[in-house]
Amino acid sequence: MPVIEELGADARLHPARLRQAKQNGVKLVGYTGRFIPAELILAAGAIPHFLGRGGEPEAPEAVLPYMLRFMSPYSRAQIGYHLLGMDPVMKLLDVIVAQCDDCHMSRLADLLEYFKLPTFRVGVPTDWDKELSFKYYYDALVKLRSRLGEVTGRPIGEDALRRSIVWMNTVRECLHRISSLRLRPNPPISGSDFIRLQHYAFSCEPGKLVESLNRVYSKMNDSKGVTSERLPRILLAGHVVAIGDYTVPRLIEEAGALIVAEFLDEGVWHCYRNVGTEGDLMFNLARAYYLERVPPTSFQPSWDSRAKWLQQLVRDFAVDGIVWYQLSFEEIYDMECAVLAKKIDEMGLPFLKLESSYEYAREAMAPLVTRIESFVKSIQLRRS
Amino acid sequence: MARDVHTDFLKLTGFEDWEIGEFMPQWRLASERLKLTDEDVRNAVDEWLPSNFETGLLSVRKILNCFVRETVDLTKAVDYKKNGVKIVYGILPAMSVFYYALKLAAPEKVYVGFPDLFLAVVMQGFFHKLAPLLEDAEQGGITYGCRHCALNKTRFAARRMDIIPDPDISWIWGLVCDEGPKTDEFIKCLQFPNWNTYVLRIPRDQPLYTREDEVDERVRYLAAHMKDGFEYVQKQIGVSVPAQKLKDVVTFRQSYFQKLGQFRKLMAVDPQPYGGAEAYLLSYPLQVPLNTGVERMEQALELAIKEVGQRVERKEGILPAGSPKLMFQITPYCQPWIIRMFKENGVLLSAGGATKKGMSPLRFDDPYLQSAEIWLRGATIVNIGYQAEQIAEQLLTYNFDGMLFGFFDFDRWLGSDDRLLASIVEEKTGLPSFYIEGDFWEDRDYSQEGLRTRVESICEILKMRKIG
Repeated sequence: MPVIEELGADARLHPARLRQAKQNGVKLVGYTGRFIPAELILAAGAIPHFLGRGGEPEAPEAVLPYMLRFMSPYSRAQIGYHLLGMDPVMKLLDVIVAQCDDCHMSRLADLLEYFKLPTFRVGVPTDWDKELSFKYYYDALVKLRSRLGEVTGRPIGEDALRRSIVWMNTVRECLHRISSLRLRPNPPISGSDFIRLQHYAFSCEPGKLVESLNRVYSKMNDSKGVTSERLPRILLAGHVVAIGDYTVPRLIEEAGALIVAEFLDEGVWHCYRNVGTEGDLMFNLARAYYLERVPPTSFQPSWDSRAKWLQQLVRDFAVDGIVWYQLSFEEIYDMECAVLAKKIDEMGLPFLKLESSYEYAREAMAPLVTRIESFVKSIQLRRS
Repeated sequence: MARDVHTDFLKLTGFEDWEIGEFMPQWRLASERLKLTDEDVRNAVDEWLPSNFETGLLSVRKILNCFVRETVDLTKAVDYKKNGVKIVYGILPAMSVFYYALKLAAPEKVYVGFPDLFLAVVMQGFFHKLAPLLEDAEQGGITYGCRHCALNKTRFAARRMDIIPDPDISWIWGLVCDEGPKTDEFIKCLQFPNWNTYVLRIPRDQPLYTREDEVDERVRYLAAHMKDGFEYVQKQIGVSVPAQKLKDVVTFRQSYFQKLGQFRKLMAVDPQPYGGAEAYLLSYPLQVPLNTGVERMEQALELAIKEVGQRVERKEGILPAGSPKLMFQITPYCQPWIIRMFKENGVLLSAGGATKKGMSPLRFDDPYLQSAEIWLRGATIVNIGYQAEQIAEQLLTYNFDGMLFGFFDFDRWLGSDDRLLASIVEEKTGLPSFYIEGDFWEDRDYSQEGLRTRVESICEILKMRKIG
């Protein structure tokens, strides 16, 4: 079995592991978004479960009797699977920590609560350049720490928190090292595989994860490359590639290109920046999660700094073209796309905007495939 | 003698004969800047305004008058800026008190306005001609297909078409949707780098049914944020507002609110004596600053109370006594044909009135804390549980026969919870709740004919329930 798929196999055991843990009295904590530090959940002695599934139209559609159809299919999907009875984990969770930043995620929190799921909200002010906003988020994390202590009956101590921060930092470092292999002209790992690898890392058994990631790195480091030729190098940008939503990355790579970098807000490990392990750990967590990472598109202001980061990735990873992968009716990403497209155009780089409502029926796929193939072809022609 | 449709328009919108001569050049210039043709004005005078607003009432004409004046004034903002006046914008909904305080402190030095709102109300509500602005914004990069908000498109287009200048500061109230504030960033990043913004936001992280105005921590956070914003704005435009002036404005705001409460109580009388759109427009000064002053709107409100009182005495209504009444939280004044269509089918549509909480004294003395408390009492702003409680109270207090939700399909906050709210409210009150997908500001996607069947069937249900 390829080394990445070993992790995949382990990740697929996640629901069964959670069921077993629950029977053994271990608390299970679900969380949404990118602002809920799993470090706190681990330090409380609970098992984190990231709610990040998507890629099928049925789950977002299941929410339509309760929610506007022009909401993000990704946020709708997080409860849609549960409503369809297709989420084996949701009903096991002792608490779901819901990130409340933009409208889509905040409404998801409303739905979780409406359906009487045990919900705890963490407010994330999107006007992030003010001291009072940072303090709000910091205070929200302090409340979360206390709540998790109540849920597990085990208040989170400093040592436990430090240990979990160190462990998460290690995972991030492993992933960062693997991602850096893609700086090579012929990367040994495809973008599709790297995205899957990150998703597996959310669900693998924590005790084995670091060792497994190190093995992935060693194996990849020794291999020559996905192909012998230099394929067009693509940067995949947008909101999220959900767990299970692999069609677009696959199509890009099947069309003869290679995804060498991602610029995604969610569903990924933000592994280029670690959390400090000295001093006030809560402050370190808040600072790392809120201030030090590339701000998500909902933050304001963010688009100038996001464009700079994108341009940096383009240079670092020798990117030949950008695919903007947008989910239907995500209004802020739609606006950002226009802003970024202009900046990318100034760089003279090809830019393709794709939109998905997780509808990958045969009729929907044909035009998608054609657009991607034409885009890749145009890059190949530019290079020749 | 050839007819002058512009004179007719000003008469219909409440200008006195003696005012028309002086105001006409300003109106003509404004209508040119807004690209309104004589035919547009004729259509408004002969058809659109009389069929959608009760222009026979003087108070209604005076309400329209305030909007015409404000929009004409808005088109002068370019000149104001050239003359050194500081330009301060905002978006709906906001606490207007801060803008009024700025205006009170430096009336000649500051322009305050919510450009997209007045353009939308007048261009769509009065002339049914917002589409050219929306199409311009779409050409500029706010896509048609993603269901963006027409107000945000209008703001962008107004700048692109040089109807308005860059602001010295745009104090953006992002307390409802994400798109409102992000549109300012869009305008700045894409095309107008001098579009200067201060953003005020608060996370929607309160558990359902939390009475947010009673959570001190939340009131204090919002108050601190309002203060931070107000100080930032003052610094940007070099105007200092004495604390007392802000207090005076909050006191005035509350007295206006109480007066509006009286008016809304009269609206609950059967037969309903006044139209829903007109009634809602009277609440504007609470959320929107008028650069031309609030006095005219206050006079219109007093006149409306008088006229409504007379109608109540005469038992005169816009439909016969006993007609079903449907509550709609924000009556669609920009698409007044929606209200007309319900009326044609024998059903009245209007906003609710003040809640007990809304009319009760504020807990705080500090104007920032008061402003935050007022805000967090608002039914459309808070979590859906608290919102549903307030809607239920209004439905029962003001004798409605049901509730209508919808027409905010472009708004990922205001529109996203309508279906949930409908179900919670129905459960709480036993009254039917309906939902119509539509657009509050424009009707390119949801035309009158497209919605007619839905409206007719809702009206039939209400009438049958009333009989049964």
